[in-house]
Amino acid sequence: MSVSDLKATSLFWKQVRKNVINWTTVRRIMSVVLFLLAWTILVQFTGQFHQIPTPKAVFAALFQLDLGGIFIEIFRSLLRVLGGFFIGLIIGLPLGVAIGYSRIANYLIFPAVEMVRPIPPIAWIPLTVLFFIEIESQIVFLTFYGAFFPIVYNTMGGISEVDIRLPRAAMSFGVSKLGMLWKVILPAAMPQIFTGMKVAIGITWLMVVAAEMIASKGGLGYWVWYHHTVMEYPMVILGMGIIGLCGALCSVCIDVIGKRFMKWRNIF
Amino acid sequence: MNNQTNTMAGDPQNESDFVFDRPSFWATIFNLKTILNIISVLSLFLIWGLLVHFGVYRFVLIPGPIEVLEWGIEWMGSKDFWMDVSLSSLRVLGGFTSACLIAIPIGLMIGWNKIFSDLTFPTLEILRPIPGIAYIPLAILFFPWQEASVAFICFVGAFFPILLNTITGVKLIDRDYFRAARCLGSSPRQIFWHVVIPGALPSISTGAALGMGIAWMASVAGEMISGKWGLGYRIWEAYTLIRYPLIVDGMIVIGILGLGSSTFIRFITLRVIPWRKAITESLDESITK
Repeated sequence: MSVSDLKATSLFWKQVRKNVINWTTVRRIMSVVLFLLAWTILVQFTGQFHQIPTPKAVFAALFQLDLGGIFIEIFRSLLRVLGGFFIGLIIGLPLGVAIGYSRIANYLIFPAVEMVRPIPPIAWIPLTVLFFIEIESQIVFLTFYGAFFPIVYNTMGGISEVDIRLPRAAMSFGVSKLGMLWKVILPAAMPQIFTGMKVAIGITWLMVVAAEMIASKGGLGYWVWYHHTVMEYPMVILGMGIIGLCGALCSVCIDVIGKRFMKWRNIF
Repeated sequence: MNNQTNTMAGDPQNESDFVFDRPSFWATIFNLKTILNIISVLSLFLIWGLLVHFGVYRFVLIPGPIEVLEWGIEWMGSKDFWMDVSLSSLRVLGGFTSACLIAIPIGLMIGWNKIFSDLTFPTLEILRPIPGIAYIPLAILFFPWQEASVAFICFVGAFFPILLNTITGVKLIDRDYFRAARCLGSSPRQIFWHVVIPGALPSISTGAALGMGIAWMASVAGEMISGKWGLGYRIWEAYTLIRYPLIVDGMIVIGILGLGSSTFIRFITLRVIPWRKAITESLDESITK
């Protein structure tokens, strides 16, 4: 090993020490450890929460997990989420663009949308069950409803908040109306559209869990509810963790896609 | 119609200094915007009514607007309605208030203090993606008292929007304010009370309005699955007892209450924190989850 190699390795370790093994990391790990400790102590040593499983039991349940089964449940839920999300995107995005871009469409559509919006998606469950025959389409409708409004509102907001100098500059270069929308307005509104999509996928996961708990036709929500009814509480917590993980992964996916779509926005 | 006249007459756009510029009284009422808005709202009900009337696809099963109105009037006259509304509101209020009391101090500390942030934020970040509804089984286990378990679900729903908005609120405060305060010799405690809290308040109120909406949604879910009385329970009961128009009435009441409470928070904010206007309105939409 030559001297320069040695120097390089020592520099590497210095970098590692500076960026990875520092007090911040230690504290972050401590945070999780403290949380688990507090959880254990609360469950073990106080009478109040004795029914809640300890972290140890949850960890043990991890090994009893039927991997094939859980992947099927995840896949089912994911399909419903993505189905509702994409239908919401296909309908919500053009609608949001129309409301944001055209004044007539705004006057004509926005009040009606505004009247339906305050009704929370979960309150739609009974009507949905009445209206749709198949359980799959019920669940997909509910996830769609959850995704629809964040997408519409954020698209609309993003378009109405575009810096007015951009369309003016484009106009003075003689851009056509379609080109203006496609090349100027939509890219400028893109960050907020993606924010809306991120919110939408969060609500979609929430809706899928709620709908599956009630519909009891497979999926993660049903899985959690089933384990609740047979009193396998460690599995319930594990299921909650899996739902959280899936939601977080979906949100990260949208972030990554958003970064690819908005390469000019490398600041964030 | 009277309402429309009042709002339109106060429209600042039309209050020009030049008399000959001022549009006539009828023009202020019947301008394009009002007409199209009225058409929009009317067509919503009309399409609903027509779809039900002609029974398109499965719309035969869905109650029509007139039916809903009749049942709604009857329901509003009964004692059940007030019981449902007050109990649901109390649950939401309980969950929301406790979420505020816990999330705002933690959020302020996380935004302000690096060490505290490192110690708590990772855990909260792990818990955050779990939707509030998934806590229902745990909440039933946790609390022997059903009211508390519904309130707990509202609490979980409202907690994270409030927390995240508080953190962002602190992070968005101009660094110069801290420097200025320190130059003028203020102690950390003074900085906390006179810079951090007023600076974060606008964002906190945004988070509170959002959290309120989510708390209402969570309360419906909680009441559907575990509850007695309450609007969510009423909707579910109406479904099982085949009193379908009542479902729609319940949805409308929940919508109005949720919207009303969020609007109330925004209204209070404008009164209590006038400097909120200085913060761009985009904060409302861009920081949500």
